[in-house]
Amino acid sequence: MSRGKIIVAKLGLDGHTNGIRIVSKWLQDAGFEVVYMGLYNTPEKVIKAMLQEDADILGLSFLEGSHMYYAEKLRELAIRYGIEGRKIVFGGVIPPDDVEKLKALGISEVFLPGTSKEKIISTIRTLLGG
Amino acid sequence: MSEKPENIDFDAYIRGERPKNFKTASGIELKEFYTQDDVTDRREIPGTYPFTRGIHRDMYRGRFWTRRQQTGYGTPEESNKRMKAVLSAGQTGLNIDVDVVVKLGLDPDHPLVEGDIGLVGTSISTLEDMEKLFDGIPLDRVSTTLIVSPPASCVLMAMYVLLARKRGIPENGLIGTVMNDSFNQLVGPTREAEFPLFPLEGNIKIGIDVMEYCIKNIPRWTILNVNAYNMRETCLRAPEEAAFAMCIAKEYIRKLLDRGFHIDEFASKIAFFTDIGMDFLEEIAKIRAMRRIWAKMLKEEFKAEKERSMWFKTAIQTSGLALTAQQPLNNIVRATIQTLAAVLAGAQSIHTTSYDEAYALPTEEAQKLSIRIQQIIAYETNITKVVDPLGGSYVIEWLTDKFEEEIRKLMIEIEEQGGFIECFKRGWIDERIARGRHEYARRIEEKEEFIVGLNIFEDKEEKLPISISKVYSTEMQKERIDYVKNYKKNRDTSSVKMALDRLYTEAKEGSNIFVSVVNAIENRATLGEICETLRKAYDFELKIG
Repeated sequence: MSRGKIIVAKLGLDGHTNGIRIVSKWLQDAGFEVVYMGLYNTPEKVIKAMLQEDADILGLSFLEGSHMYYAEKLRELAIRYGIEGRKIVFGGVIPPDDVEKLKALGISEVFLPGTSKEKIISTIRTLLGG
Repeated sequence: MSEKPENIDFDAYIRGERPKNFKTASGIELKEFYTQDDVTDRREIPGTYPFTRGIHRDMYRGRFWTRRQQTGYGTPEESNKRMKAVLSAGQTGLNIDVDVVVKLGLDPDHPLVEGDIGLVGTSISTLEDMEKLFDGIPLDRVSTTLIVSPPASCVLMAMYVLLARKRGIPENGLIGTVMNDSFNQLVGPTREAEFPLFPLEGNIKIGIDVMEYCIKNIPRWTILNVNAYNMRETCLRAPEEAAFAMCIAKEYIRKLLDRGFHIDEFASKIAFFTDIGMDFLEEIAKIRAMRRIWAKMLKEEFKAEKERSMWFKTAIQTSGLALTAQQPLNNIVRATIQTLAAVLAGAQSIHTTSYDEAYALPTEEAQKLSIRIQQIIAYETNITKVVDPLGGSYVIEWLTDKFEEEIRKLMIEIEEQGGFIECFKRGWIDERIARGRHEYARRIEEKEEFIVGLNIFEDKEEKLPISISKVYSTEMQKERIDYVKNYKKNRDTSSVKMALDRLYTEAKEGSNIFVSVVNAIENRATLGEICETLRKAYDFELKIG
């Protein structure tokens, strides 16, 4: 199994970083290669980064309610760049009702508030096919 | 609730339950009990220096705290409806939150902001928006807090002044607060959140310009609300929250003194916005210690003479970080306990965070319940009928002393490194936050700290029992974008340009820009245009996208 390269980022203007910082460190400590892109990214920027970095997974954090908007944008871009097969995971303050809608838009996994470290790491491992 | 008997740990009943350790949330070791030997006999009376027991002798006997829930989402019209709804539920002050687009000083038609319009606060760009937001609200009878940092605080404050003028309300009739704290633009003082948006020195300078104008012209206005809450919610501990906030206030005091004001001209116009978490005794002690530290600092260090200058005033919000998405109804209990702590600590105003906020902005129903929590405490418990009811409790007095000591130690550490601004620039604050976050996560993961429903007493097959507010709507966002585009088309572009040129020149020269921001708005410049002009004057390019 490859080590697994994960890009983590926030999109748009949402500045909440408690979760993304904590999860990034958990993933790093678990042996994944983590590229932290931080705040204020556009969907184009993270998709391009995924290609350039040849990352396996893109992890995005949302705490202000813009997750549906960006899921739609990401879907369009994934098709345009021909990377529909790559895995994108979301995490953050997301209403449970939106989880199925996000999955229908191609988001592989959605981590809701309170998800344990163990659950996140094992899910990422499964997504990597290990 | 349908556990089979074989799944129940009957041995636990024999063992019994007890705390995992005997430390407070910030790590202070508690003794078995406290006696008079643990406390200094101060014989302090409420309303007297150093105001540990409260800034007023009669406190809530004279007047309850202000019930001030944050409101704002979507368009200004939608927010206005919610503002009226909370007022009719018995809220006694307004607390206006703007969306992150405004907080960053941008307009809705900026290419990078579409998905964020109106989500976590109201969308505002023009004076017309401000008029719609405050439609039917008497500015001289309802006090309003504008939760916004520089540079946008300057624009919103200028709009507020213009709105008052239009309605014929003199500036000395306005009552309220502009948050205006440069270090909590978004969710806490991190460099990655702040640095891409606006130059820090310019940001602080604009904040001081607003303060200077308000000191001179709006006598009943609070010019700064030091945002300790957002710092704390980045997982800092209670003594750090208090020390950081005090050190930020010191920076502003020095800068206002540099502008030639006497300390007693403005100290009473500075207030704080603090957090109350779940550690009941510790949070109450923190607020009491902050009152004492502020009073002594103002009197001894800054030589204030007026008593009012020595009053530490605070708006309190119950912790959002403490809420769980699991078993969300439990959050009603958490918010109630925290609100009770805020009252026992002697808050000036309270926002009780709603039980559904681990998922989204609150529904109207949830917000109303938050107001009811405060009303039940105010009207039914009778704890408002005696001032500082916990004063003299051995443990509370001991913890207050302990907090004073801990906070002072941290303040000295910050001051010795050149003060808060220097510590922030150097990344020392970021390091503390990073440490706090990882430590917080570790404590929960390793069950060093229990959170009911999250890492103990979990319901495995839980169905969400509450309804959740949905703010996101492409129509609302499109409406806002179209509105601003049209506004920009239908105006005299030469007068806009002239007003923005004047602002640019004054910003370059370093004079107070407030009046020329007022002039720009009058000439129909938008919030985004004004902030962009200021960025240009400071040779700064937005680093987002």
